Amino acid sequence: MNCNEATPLVAAYADGEVDGLRAHSLRKHLAGCATCAAKHQAVLDLRAKLRAEVPYYPAPAALRDRVRSALTATDASAEAQRRSAGDRWRWLATGALGGCAATVLAWVVGTAVVDWRASEDLAAEAVTAHVRATLGTHLTEVASSDQHAVKPWLSARLDFSPPVRDLASEGFTLTGGRRDYLGGQPVAVLVYRYHEHVIDVFVRPQQARAAAPALRSIRGFNVARATGSAMDWVAVSDVSPDVLSGLVERLARDQAADSDARSLMRPQPTERPPGQ
Amino acid sequence: MLPHLDAGYNLARWLTRDAHDAEDVVQDACVRAMQYVNALRGGDAKAWFLTIVRHACYDWFKRNRPPEIAADDGAAIESAADGEALSPEQIAVRASEVRALGDALAALPLPYREVLVLRELEELSYKEIARIADIPIGTVMSRLARARALLQRSPLLQAIDGQSSGGER
Repeated sequence: MNCNEATPLVAAYADGEVDGLRAHSLRKHLAGCATCAAKHQAVLDLRAKLRAEVPYYPAPAALRDRVRSALTATDASAEAQRRSAGDRWRWLATGALGGCAATVLAWVVGTAVVDWRASEDLAAEAVTAHVRATLGTHLTEVASSDQHAVKPWLSARLDFSPPVRDLASEGFTLTGGRRDYLGGQPVAVLVYRYHEHVIDVFVRPQQARAAAPALRSIRGFNVARATGSAMDWVAVSDVSPDVLSGLVERLARDQAADSDARSLMRPQPTERPPGQ
Repeated sequence: MLPHLDAGYNLARWLTRDAHDAEDVVQDACVRAMQYVNALRGGDAKAWFLTIVRHACYDWFKRNRPPEIAADDGAAIESAADGEALSPEQIAVRASEVRALGDALAALPLPYREVLVLRELEELSYKEIARIADIPIGTVMSRLARARALLQRSPLLQAIDGQSSGGER
């Protein structure tokens, strides 16, 4: 091997990317050629220097913790989700089989499945948005426990005005709001704190028929849905399902009935302190 | 993902050159990785995660620092590298810091910086680098060669060499 052949290989050889016969003849050439040996040595020197002097930045502990807790929630339900995805396709396959009568049935089932998929996708999307917001630093764009501050902020930035209620007396403290996207559409998010849990409530103008399953669990998060006050309500959190669906139904229902008779007894007999 | 979080952060830190930005990028990458975790079948988890981190980095650049990724043709990259000429005073000041080599690496144009970080700090093979940076192996080799030449020629580094070992050539 001469210098012309060796030159293009020297760096790759130093990187451990040349093997077999070519490595052998290159080794022989380097032993006899000072110029090529110096080039080889220069690559090795630079590497040694880089590894010795240039900082390697390990992930900060806070970042690692955030990722770890998000992952724990994900792992727990990944398996369950995969199974339900399989079931879904088997459903479709069943619908496609059969004769003439079955075609009508399949159409009905098919539409239901499409509806169900859409709502499932929406729930999954809400969970992703929730995880992204809790991982990051922009959980709330407007931080206030005052419903009269959060509502105008959201109304000014969306093409609808979401009803906003602070339910601190029932344990759900309003901590603020933000804008997010659901189904490619800007929506309002009300952020509540319930004990140590963060609850995101996505609010958008009511769409289509509300045949969505009221409660689902995705990647360890619970998703509760309700429709009321001309809005779709989707709550996402890691609190228990009954607490979550209680909140979302309360929000949807309460807005509808909550005109000006606020002090009147609501169907749910909770003793609220006066002045709320 | 967790075992490779350090590698992901280190890459993002070198590409963005900022601790805070790197954290944002890695967080974004983690969210993406969770969504696409099914796409990881068997393959090499580290290269897979670094690919996602790199994508997140470039998307971040697109939103926040478009000029960094604008010039991708050789000539522009080279003039950018040579344009980093420093005055003797600057060199003296920087050379007094131990971080001089780090500065020289940070000053490399993005396409060179990323292959060099992946090769020398993450110790990845040409094949893995080609996959992560989405370029042919031949381009990996030529960019590595160029990156090394730029670094060895860097005024920052030569100032150091002049002081200590007396240079490599």
